[in-house]
Amino acid sequence: MNTIDTFHFVFRSLTAHRLRTILSASGIAIGIAAVILLTSIGEGVQRFVLSEFTQFGTNIVTITPGKVSTHGGSLGAIGSARLLTIEDAIALKHSRYTQYTNASVMGNAEIRTQGRSRRVTVYGQGPDFSRAFNMQVGIGQFLPDDDPRNPRAYVVLGSKAHTELFGGDNPLGAILQVGGSRFRVIGVMASKGQILDFDLDDTVFIPTMRALEVFNREGLMEINIAYQPGAPVEAVVDDIKRVLVARHGREDFTVIPQQQMLSTMSTVLNVLKFAVAALGGISLLVGAVGMVTLMHIAVAERVAEIGLLTALGATRTRIRILFLMESTALSTLGGLAGLMIGAGVAWLLKLLVSNLPVNIPWDYVLGALALSVLIGLAAGVIPAMRAAKLNPVDALRTE
Amino acid sequence: MIDLTAITRIFHMGDQVVRALDDVSVRISSGEYVSIMGPSGSGKSTLLNIIGLLDKPNSGNYALDGKNVTALSENEQAQIRREKIGFVFQTFHLVPRLTAAENIELPLILGGIPPKDRCLRVDAALLAFELQDRAQHRPAELSGGQRQRVAIARATIMQPTVILADEPTGNLDHHIGGEVMSLLEKLYESGTTLIVVTHDRELGARAHRQIIMRDGKILTDQANDPA
Amino acid sequence: MTLPDTLQLSFKAIMSYRLRSLLIVFAMALGVAAVIVLTALGDGARRYVVNQFSSIGTNLLVVLPGRAETSGSFPGAVLGQTPRDLTLKDAQLVGRLPQVRRYAPLNVGVAELSAANRLREVTVLGSNANLIPIRHMQLAQGSFLTQGSAQSAQIVLGAKLASEFFPRSQAIGQRVRLGENRFLVSGVLVLQGESMGFNTDEVVIIPIDYAQSLFNTTSLFRVLVEVNSRSEIQSAKQAVLDTLKESHDGEDDITVITQDAILATFDRILHALTLAVAGIAAISLIVAGVLIMNVMLVAVNQRTAEIGLLKAIGATAADIRRLFFVEALWLSLAGAVIGFILGQFGSLLLRFAYPQLPAWAPVWASLAGIIVALIAGILASLLPASRAARLDPVKALGKK
Repeated sequence: MNTIDTFHFVFRSLTAHRLRTILSASGIAIGIAAVILLTSIGEGVQRFVLSEFTQFGTNIVTITPGKVSTHGGSLGAIGSARLLTIEDAIALKHSRYTQYTNASVMGNAEIRTQGRSRRVTVYGQGPDFSRAFNMQVGIGQFLPDDDPRNPRAYVVLGSKAHTELFGGDNPLGAILQVGGSRFRVIGVMASKGQILDFDLDDTVFIPTMRALEVFNREGLMEINIAYQPGAPVEAVVDDIKRVLVARHGREDFTVIPQQQMLSTMSTVLNVLKFAVAALGGISLLVGAVGMVTLMHIAVAERVAEIGLLTALGATRTRIRILFLMESTALSTLGGLAGLMIGAGVAWLLKLLVSNLPVNIPWDYVLGALALSVLIGLAAGVIPAMRAAKLNPVDALRTE
Repeated sequence: MIDLTAITRIFHMGDQVVRALDDVSVRISSGEYVSIMGPSGSGKSTLLNIIGLLDKPNSGNYALDGKNVTALSENEQAQIRREKIGFVFQTFHLVPRLTAAENIELPLILGGIPPKDRCLRVDAALLAFELQDRAQHRPAELSGGQRQRVAIARATIMQPTVILADEPTGNLDHHIGGEVMSLLEKLYESGTTLIVVTHDRELGARAHRQIIMRDGKILTDQANDPA
Repeated sequence: MTLPDTLQLSFKAIMSYRLRSLLIVFAMALGVAAVIVLTALGDGARRYVVNQFSSIGTNLLVVLPGRAETSGSFPGAVLGQTPRDLTLKDAQLVGRLPQVRRYAPLNVGVAELSAANRLREVTVLGSNANLIPIRHMQLAQGSFLTQGSAQSAQIVLGAKLASEFFPRSQAIGQRVRLGENRFLVSGVLVLQGESMGFNTDEVVIIPIDYAQSLFNTTSLFRVLVEVNSRSEIQSAKQAVLDTLKESHDGEDDITVITQDAILATFDRILHALTLAVAGIAAISLIVAGVLIMNVMLVAVNQRTAEIGLLKAIGATAADIRRLFFVEALWLSLAGAVIGFILGQFGSLLLRFAYPQLPAWAPVWASLAGIIVALIAGILASLLPASRAARLDPVKALGKK
């Protein structure tokens, strides 16, 4: 019996009970569809989150004040943790890999102009902020490159702050009061949308030093450094540490490369995606039990046929292969159908529910397909062995 | 009393139209012993199925005990089968997963007889057909003769007025077949109408009335004196 | 045919195909167990969070400086600073409101703690004596700012800090240095572990005045307010807003968060999550239903002759339909019951493995799991049962 004949034979046994074949395959199909649909949503969310975080560029290192760890032994210097200052940021400008530095403070304040007022998030940023974080300016310009220790009192509006306060009017040159100080509007940012519920457009940007005054604060919240693309992250971090330790006398700050954050987040999201796939896998498992049941029934039902085949000279191996192929073909069919249903529904979701990120993860798709083939093989093994072991005389007599 | 008038039954086999029964009229009184004979395809089994209300004629009338049953609903026909008709088949048709006693009990269950009565009647039937020591055996563990005895016990347990036997000895050897026929004839002697379909001449000759069929029509219908 | 007979006859049919029936029951049981275990997990997580929240304090209002137009998104108010401070005077004003049982001003910062030749940076909470009861913290030893010592430089250490700095000796009564100031250890917190992302084992608590001078500030980070009773939470919130608006020259520039609101949000989110997970698990019940339908169809096929016989000996179509229907019902019932037991056992294992997680499957989930399983079984039996009932007796009898 050659391969083509085997295939043909298997095909005929599957089409002989069409409804049964469809139902068995649909068990697997529902399972595979569930896995693919769920992981598609998982993958979509993962990509969405990561892209939201990488839209500001990936070559950014953030330095925050303070460090938690216990030092044993005696250390001479005792004092409160030192603040990060504008001077620290200026010093870091001369680190070897630095492209841009940005000293950052953030807070909440009321802004007023022309009799209107609004509470917004106020960012104190340096002139390089827009370049370091890939922020686009819509009208006018970003904060100018003044002396960071004594910058002029300019303000750049977020797009929502602009429309809320000025409507459609051109705000350039207008005077805006932020907290107790007055600023002149020199630009409006392009709209950025929301990140995880933080509205990035309901904001204003003022020079860092001015923000420290508004908030009556001495230390920075963080310093961001954009390093040259391609520079090794470890070297960048080491260099930053060297510069700051030289200034502070010890390591009383924390350096977090964004890549590290991204990879942590990516790991968490991967685990979540896998968990979701496993949830869908429960249905697949039930479908697999269904396959086992059906193959078991098929052997019991076709005892006479097996006896006849043996009598006609089929070897035990041949019979085993026939049954194994039957179950594998069945489950692969189900897997393919499930793939199409799952991908189809995922695609529909993408079309219909616009803010639900959906993306079909092809590694999971291939995995699911391979799994369905494996389920078929596994479900076929015991029934196929039983079929092969049948005594032809007994098998023929059952009819 | 079975009264068939102008019964026609047509089958479609592919694009061929087969008249299994072609305008057949026959009347069988209560307590008769009738054999229906003929070659295969002559319509004898179809006639039996129509008498047993398993099959419906395309045209014609069937009155059982003076009542027109052709127009009855399926459920009413089922009730008549349950209460008035007993079937005996060539292949016995025992339910393989039930014991001999349980097989005999089936019609009682369908008739909704209370379990206590069922038990008594099954025990009596087992005794009558000499199956006491086989009661808990499954069909696979019984010989052919025993199987047919179980089938006859099942057919008579509701005390039907008509027994319809379709080649009852067809799967049995000559000797056992004879024994089974004696059992059926005993039922006839106690007043039950007995209709046997067979193509065995010798068997057919044991009946008191012989109907011979060919091509869906009754060829001869004559009284017979089983000497 | 009477109901007990139908039940018995179909049960016999199931028992005669033992392996097949076992597999179907197993498939159904898997689905039901999955629903139960996963909802136990989800609901356990929900209860865990709710417990954690109530362990933070009851009838709690949190007053924080700053205000945004939209209540949902104000990172500045949460993370940053505002031009107008929330002061100790504000806190005292709030404390005088009739609805308020007690209040605790709060400053949070980082400073270096040193003692016994060790040094590390710690999170410093500056507050008054009420912080400990309001936040449901517990002192393992000692006290904090008890009456008569209100102005002294006392410090309470988190459990882990106490054991790190004074591994062999009693921490109480020791002198430690925080920033430039010396403090006397007056108490040690009970070891609590992480709760809601905040670990009290590595914090120190000092009086608010010392904290403000340490951090060189006059503004407060938060004011925690405990209201007399649950029913007064809303009126207390309004009273706090009104009082501080007056104190801030008519400026509406603070935010009051009620613990209830946060709790309700979490409760809702986790509840929805549990439902979603249960729904996903329930897909497997549909798969099991498809399996039952398939096997019942096969059974009708295999038992065609038997169905023919039953009809010949007087079974009505309804009798036959009922037989197959009940057979499917038996299978799904057995699957549901075994799945329920498996699910409860799985939840038990979960509780055993994670004692802090109250992983009890909610009653609605167990009921829904069982009912969906039964419905799936019943729906699955409809097609095969009606097929069986429709069989033509003559053809059925003729079939081997």
